[in-house]
Amino acid sequence: MKSKNIHTRISIIFFISILITFFYGCGKKLPEDIPIGVKDIVLLNQDSSRIIFPDSFKGKTLLLSFIYTNCPDICPMTTHNMQLIQQQVKKEGIDNVEFVEISFDPLRDTPSKLKEFGDIRDIDYNNFNFLTGNPVGIKSILNNMNILALPGDTTETKSGSKIYFFTHTDRITLIDKNGRIRNEYRGSKANIQAVVNDIKILGD
Amino acid sequence: MIFLLSILTILNYNSNSIEINNAWVRPAGKGMNSALYFELKNSSANSDELFKVSSNAAELVQLHKTVNKNGLMEMKEIKSLKINGNQTIKFAPGGYHVMLIKLKKDLKTGNKIGFKFYFKKAGIIKADAVVKSY
Repeated sequence: MKSKNIHTRISIIFFISILITFFYGCGKKLPEDIPIGVKDIVLLNQDSSRIIFPDSFKGKTLLLSFIYTNCPDICPMTTHNMQLIQQQVKKEGIDNVEFVEISFDPLRDTPSKLKEFGDIRDIDYNNFNFLTGNPVGIKSILNNMNILALPGDTTETKSGSKIYFFTHTDRITLIDKNGRIRNEYRGSKANIQAVVNDIKILGD
Repeated sequence: MIFLLSILTILNYNSNSIEINNAWVRPAGKGMNSALYFELKNSSANSDELFKVSSNAAELVQLHKTVNKNGLMEMKEIKSLKINGNQTIKFAPGGYHVMLIKLKKDLKTGNKIGFKFYFKKAGIIKADAVVKSY
């Protein structure tokens, strides 16, 4: 009898905890609400298809990051996190979310390079685009979104190829259906479930 | 006597004191760059120094460290890395890594890549790294 009472109490506490978690999540407001400040930039995706940024993604929740494919350390971590978020979003049945990575190294990152970068990581291109384009257009996006990407040390290989790397911002940005920035995360260290929860707060 | 002690010290310091564990590499296409990560363990009481890593998989192999400088991520080449006695140093994403520049072939998940690690005292240690997604 005593054991039955304890079980009932545990069940009630568990049920109340779930309710608190649910309502807290629903009521949570995302801290930032800033217009993206970019309009009608023509870019190309990994298949060389024209994408108007950000207009092509209007009406959809957008998760955006900036990378360059010659980056051996930080950018692959960011891309991997974007991929994990995409997989979790799909698993939880959340629709209307697009994933975009824009290269801040458009001179080297041609559409075919972006495709190669995505293919070797088994990226699901269904709602994931890598974008490149005219350096002027890319620069305008970087400036408006406060992304820094500064070419740094140059290394020369035995064959004489010159290699350079960037010192750069490490960020994933969550943008709502109206093109407003709603949250920002450290790209290479993003908490996957926290980002997914924020996407859920924005809703379909 | 001093000569004999020196010989004994060298004999006592074998390459088994230095271990390269859990080595892995990021996937990347031919001509692109990748990074090697591992745990460097020194189980002897003596310090040593890693000054070079080589591999046939890339045109150039360098020791690097990623640092967060006021929110900007920057990579710096390091000429060598000292490891103290009984110390383990992790080469991990976002920190120390061995950069593989201009890959000579595609590195696909599951591939194994051979590396040579050059130490001042322990000499050359060979280890394989597996390509895995991260």
